[in-house]
Amino acid sequence: MQPRRQPPPAPRPRGNCPGAPLLALLLLLVLRGAAAAPAGPQDPRRPQDAGLSRGLLQQAARAALHFLNFRAGSPSALRALAAVQEGRASVNPKEGCKVDLVFSTERYNSEEGEEHLGNCSARVFFKTQKPRPAINVTCTRLLGKRKRQQEDYLLYKQMKQLKTPVDVVSIPDSHGHIDPSLKPIWDLAFLGSSYVMWEKTTQFLHYYLAQLTSVKQWKTDDDEIDFDYTVLLHEFSTQEIIPCRIHLVWYPGKPLKVKYHCQELQTPEEASGTEEG
Amino acid sequence: MQGTPGGGTCPGLSPLDRWTLLVFSFMLAAALGQMNFTGDQVLRVLAKDEKQLSLLRDLEGLKPQKVDFWRAPARPSLPVDMRVPFSELKDIKAYLESHGLAYSIMIKDIQVLLDEEREAMAKSRRLERSTSSFSYSSYHTLEEIYSWIDNFVTEHSDMVSKIQIGSSFENRSILVLKFSTGGSRRPAIWIDAGIHSREWITHATGIWTAKKIVSEYGKDPVLTDILKAMDIFIELVTNPDGFAFTHSMNRLWRKNKSTRPGIFCIGVDLNRNWKSGFGGNGSNANPCSETYHGPSPQSEPEVAAIVDFITTHGNFKALISIHSYSQMLMYPYGKSLEPVSNEKELYYLAKDAVKALHEVHGIHYIFGSISTTLYLASGITIDWAYDSGIKYAFSFELRDTGQYGFLLPATQIIPTAQETWMAILTIMEHTLKHPY
Repeated sequence: MQPRRQPPPAPRPRGNCPGAPLLALLLLLVLRGAAAAPAGPQDPRRPQDAGLSRGLLQQAARAALHFLNFRAGSPSALRALAAVQEGRASVNPKEGCKVDLVFSTERYNSEEGEEHLGNCSARVFFKTQKPRPAINVTCTRLLGKRKRQQEDYLLYKQMKQLKTPVDVVSIPDSHGHIDPSLKPIWDLAFLGSSYVMWEKTTQFLHYYLAQLTSVKQWKTDDDEIDFDYTVLLHEFSTQEIIPCRIHLVWYPGKPLKVKYHCQELQTPEEASGTEEG
Repeated sequence: MQGTPGGGTCPGLSPLDRWTLLVFSFMLAAALGQMNFTGDQVLRVLAKDEKQLSLLRDLEGLKPQKVDFWRAPARPSLPVDMRVPFSELKDIKAYLESHGLAYSIMIKDIQVLLDEEREAMAKSRRLERSTSSFSYSSYHTLEEIYSWIDNFVTEHSDMVSKIQIGSSFENRSILVLKFSTGGSRRPAIWIDAGIHSREWITHATGIWTAKKIVSEYGKDPVLTDILKAMDIFIELVTNPDGFAFTHSMNRLWRKNKSTRPGIFCIGVDLNRNWKSGFGGNGSNANPCSETYHGPSPQSEPEVAAIVDFITTHGNFKALISIHSYSQMLMYPYGKSLEPVSNEKELYYLAKDAVKALHEVHGIHYIFGSISTTLYLASGITIDWAYDSGIKYAFSFELRDTGQYGFLLPATQIIPTAQETWMAILTIMEHTLKHPY
């Protein structure tokens, strides 16, 4: 796999949103090119402001991207974060934290040498009361509509032809390998996980999909793909590994339907949710 | 746990003989099928004429099947090989003898052969006889790494030695490689990998780096200058118990494997167990947490071993701790947002190192202090190192930024190690040129 040019994942400190009024003032800063350049975005003279704000923008970008991927419902049009260009945040201690930002994306499954960047602008609202961030996001196209439909349909056909992979264990395997024939399953699993990760991302917590650990069910007899599986999510700030059971139904062009149930290890409550996109 | 080099000899399967190929396939199938062939024998029969041949063919047709032909009856003068299950041996031998069919016993007990074969295969896989046949672009087990260490030290004994600095909670050896061209307690550089066991790319990078050092000494002027004046110490597997666990049971295990009476969860986050801001923000008092700091600073043998070694040595000038993932190069502090006194120097050094890294394969790293770049974390290695007087203390987070995370494909090992090397070299060179 060609390692892609990766966005700098910026600092992500704790407890700054919602915060004390003083902190709120700090967060009203407008930052330009906050996390764009790899060569030291940090000004050594004022590390604190830059760090706090940049971390928040990164969180917002991640949330927006998970939501975007889920809403698009297309395993061939998945996007990854390239860089945060600019953004601003405002804090209302009662309501939560609103972030407006502009960021660039690239294809999650970019081919070697391919460098297509799409630009997105988003408003992300980390609400104090509600569990999941409210997101408005628009992006320039990375893939033409026709091409995307074609690729989705191709993936769909590949999946229909797969022998029921219920004995599949661990994608990727311990050595990071994904069998090319199983890549469509991974992409679809990632798509479903995007919904989960959108719901769970906060100003402090962010997630990555670590591994697909089992396929409980893979039904393709009807038109739709009915996929029931478990994944391990890696939450970065706590470093915890969170097992989630996800059930999705997908058909190219149709909204993705996802139900999930995660095992929260630290707290006794278990998070769960359902959604139709 | 140390392996001995030059392990058992492989029975040397010759690929030429079709018979041998048949045998091998059979054994493989048997091994995979986990069948038991204790007491089964392979008999070789020579039929004198067509009549005797047809007698053998009769055996073939028996139901239930009493023999399994490996080399079927074809022509007289061609040997016929058949596997006879233990339970049928008496009958079949009686049959052959009563009809005057001469036979010899090719394999006296198939199961014994199978077991020996399996043992030899496992052994030769584990214990490579030299580091040149060791794959640097694969991930390895603890045994394989420890075996490689022994081979490596033997092959480069002029420059490299192995030191055991302690034992892990489950009593595995904690090993450090020392690279030295002489002198006595020269100013030294410390590099550790694998403090978090699931970060497999770090051990792999460490091994490649060790090999790179011996290859480049005498060739690369920068590295040669460094080694003429300083020693380098590399701890490849800082958390051997955790690492073994990632192979046996849980690939995503992070902590060590220490247990305490009355505590339900296992393991301490070794990178929260150091005596610097211990127990502060960014560490957790809950034993079930992935960032559990442990009952007290240095309570963990894996951490205590390093502290003792570095403190006793007393002349370390730089410390580099390798983690994954995120693509970052960071300096202290993690415990607070307060900048260290030589923050500016470390900032520019990190900037240079990251630039050198980027030039290799175009990979972007960000840099800064841990608290402002990654997150607040207390009781971490580099904070302790810095507070102990080691001015150049850095922490790497290697590839990638989340696509594969801890499960970085093995194909990325060498590119990652190559780029990381340039950053490490930059830091070491700066340390050399700024003695204190």
